[in-house]
Amino acid sequence: MIADFIRILRAADIQVSPAEAIDAAAVIEEIGIGERRLLKHALGHTLAKTQFEKQSFDECFDIYFKLLEMDLGEATPTSDSGEAPDEPDAPSRDSAGDATDASDDADGEEGEAQEGQPGDQPGAPTGEAKKASKKPGEPGRDETGEGETDTQRASLVDMLTQKDQAALQAAISEAAQKVGLADAKLFTQQGMFSRRIMESMGLAQLDAHIRQLEENGESGKADGLREGRGQLFEAVFDFVERQIAMRTKNAGRLLREDALSRIRLSNLDRSDMKIMRGLIQRLAKRLASRHSRQRKKSRRGMLDIRRTMRRNVAYDGNLFELSWRRTKVERPKLLVLCDVSGSVAAVSQFFLMFLYSLDEVMPKTRSFVFSNRAGEISDMMRDGDMDQVMEQALREFGGGSTDYGMSMMDFAEATLDTIDHRTTVMILGDARSNYGDPGHLVLKEMHERARRVIWLNPEGESSWGTGDSEMKRLGAYCTHKQVCNSVKHVERVLDDLLRLST
Amino acid sequence: MTEMKNQAQDAIEAILAGYEKLGYISDEQIATALFLAQKLEKPLLVEGPPGVGKTELAKATAEYLGLDMIRLQCYEGLDESKALYEWQYGKQLLYTQVLKEKLGDLMQGTNSLDESMAKLNNFEDVFFSEQFLQTRPLLQALQNEDGAVLLIDEIDKSDDEFEAFLLEILSDYQISIPELGTVKAKKPPLVFLTSNNTREIGDALKRRCLHLYIPFPDAARENTILQARVPELNQQLRDNIVNFVQAVRQMDLKKPPAVSETIDWARTVVLLNMSVLDAEFIRNTLNVLLKFRSDIENVEGEIARLMRETQLTPDTPIQ
Repeated sequence: MIADFIRILRAADIQVSPAEAIDAAAVIEEIGIGERRLLKHALGHTLAKTQFEKQSFDECFDIYFKLLEMDLGEATPTSDSGEAPDEPDAPSRDSAGDATDASDDADGEEGEAQEGQPGDQPGAPTGEAKKASKKPGEPGRDETGEGETDTQRASLVDMLTQKDQAALQAAISEAAQKVGLADAKLFTQQGMFSRRIMESMGLAQLDAHIRQLEENGESGKADGLREGRGQLFEAVFDFVERQIAMRTKNAGRLLREDALSRIRLSNLDRSDMKIMRGLIQRLAKRLASRHSRQRKKSRRGMLDIRRTMRRNVAYDGNLFELSWRRTKVERPKLLVLCDVSGSVAAVSQFFLMFLYSLDEVMPKTRSFVFSNRAGEISDMMRDGDMDQVMEQALREFGGGSTDYGMSMMDFAEATLDTIDHRTTVMILGDARSNYGDPGHLVLKEMHERARRVIWLNPEGESSWGTGDSEMKRLGAYCTHKQVCNSVKHVERVLDDLLRLST
Repeated sequence: MTEMKNQAQDAIEAILAGYEKLGYISDEQIATALFLAQKLEKPLLVEGPPGVGKTELAKATAEYLGLDMIRLQCYEGLDESKALYEWQYGKQLLYTQVLKEKLGDLMQGTNSLDESMAKLNNFEDVFFSEQFLQTRPLLQALQNEDGAVLLIDEIDKSDDEFEAFLLEILSDYQISIPELGTVKAKKPPLVFLTSNNTREIGDALKRRCLHLYIPFPDAARENTILQARVPELNQQLRDNIVNFVQAVRQMDLKKPPAVSETIDWARTVVLLNMSVLDAEFIRNTLNVLLKFRSDIENVEGEIARLMRETQLTPDTPIQ
């Protein structure tokens, strides 16, 4: 049971390691499963390790154990498998003994439970079917009892004629385990799994039995069974759907995010913007935490002789206080220039968004945007909402045709004095200068002063230097040139940058 | 099964009651976590916003169990020599100096080099012995005869390396000292780790711990806490304070007031002998509750609204 629950938790994006699963088992040993609330707290402490996980854990726990509780609450003897029962409301469980009564009773209840009788049995309207099923109840049981079937514990025909809900449920869960429903991943597999479960429950026998009944002229009985078969189908289908939903709650989102992180940013759909923003924030956080602690690295075991000597002059040269060598990891000083015209704008936007999510590890960032002129947007970025900033930036600096020469001049004028051997200059643009001055002389000067000049181009490498692309000329003054048009690229670029800054 | 369950529940209720006697108002979540930590001998990682009583929990636990509390405050650059043990280098150095002087006396009567070496060998182990070992919190906790409560405070402030170094201690309650061998805990200490989540704690560490998240308390619980902590306060004022603070927490603030701030504020009220909470008083003492200039400014403008919402009548008009 616990294994099944943990599998569901994993599907809900909660990381559960085998060690934690063992802990969970130990917890259950201590607490017992009777006291639901206590168990929830206890398992929560053991399995869910962040606030976010706690939330999903609570949800999963509630769903899973509510279903289980119904099972336990009715004290049915067969349902020990722990699989969640499918019927939301099945009160006639205790009535398996008295078949005639029970079938009447159960039929009525069932009509409520599954609103709208399934219409897939040919030509058997609900009212009629009800009557029909009431009549043959008794003889039906007799016949199947002594008849052909004895393969299953209780044959499917038996269970259906008796409306033995508990046995049916147990059979469904058992069959589900047998066909490996737990491995189901996609909703498209729903039909297949339903079918398999039915088959494993003895569908073939049921059909054969119905056929036989019809041949013998007992069409009323056959209709009754057929109706039951329809309902069973529905129930199994429902059961499979819920199981798959529980197990794959997050798989869809994860798939989508993975795809989004690879997609070209300029092809991004507006509706995906929101997911994208969340994705970027998470990636940025991961990056930040990976790099935030590397500022000082003491090199273990390397004695800094000079400092040690100096410190210990006071002790008459006896080496009381030792001092070890350490290297200091510097935070990169970053200057960014982004093209916000046309097709590059989308990439720029996400690049800047990513960059500012990293404020924590790269506080010394200044950013500029340009189209025909360049201007600084650092302050706007720090307190503004991203969309607004981009809009404003586009209004102020966008519009005209791209002018690399002019923009580079603006950029240099504002920053050249601050560029030193610790500065990294990053330029994001397609280097298409409309056959004007690409500003390579300015770039050359920056290149000479800066530690690194990195050019990020959203275009593929094959189109560099074609048409009005000045990538060849500008690229001569860059330490790195990289293609950058998806979130994956952006992440890699920034990761490298942070790592290089040792 | 039922018997076991009852035992567990009884134990948890006993813990709850025990805390309450000590003036630490907890809830079932916290008590369950402590119960499990004791039973499974696992460290407990406590997270939550600053000021909700994470450190206090460890203190209360130590008091409740009657154990020593050993505290290790983490900070960036904390390393094992400060957390675990250190050789007292100065003392060792002095020892060699003394040894040097005594060496002549010692070596008297030895004729060959071998003989003197053999004699020296008798002293060798002294040099790296417990005599020169300066124990630090972690080692102290392991060496304590009756077990102890070990509080590793603000683990998120330490480095990744230190976190990795903790793993051995936390899973096996033992530590290897190269010169002495492995030190095993006589009785596993009860370990609390607290974190303010300034950075993600590594998965490896998380996996070894039970995890407890303490959120801001709801009004009822905060009321009980105040009652336990500032008993001088009357019912009416307590309600007012709690309601006001709860309302402030709803606002979008840099740092919402935590329980410790509520307690401070309540103490202020007692100290200034206030009989009602009026706007004037609130404005003057907002700095007790809020720790950022911009937050104070934000709330100042909203005092009237907040008071109305919490059914306080603003006695003095706000200019």
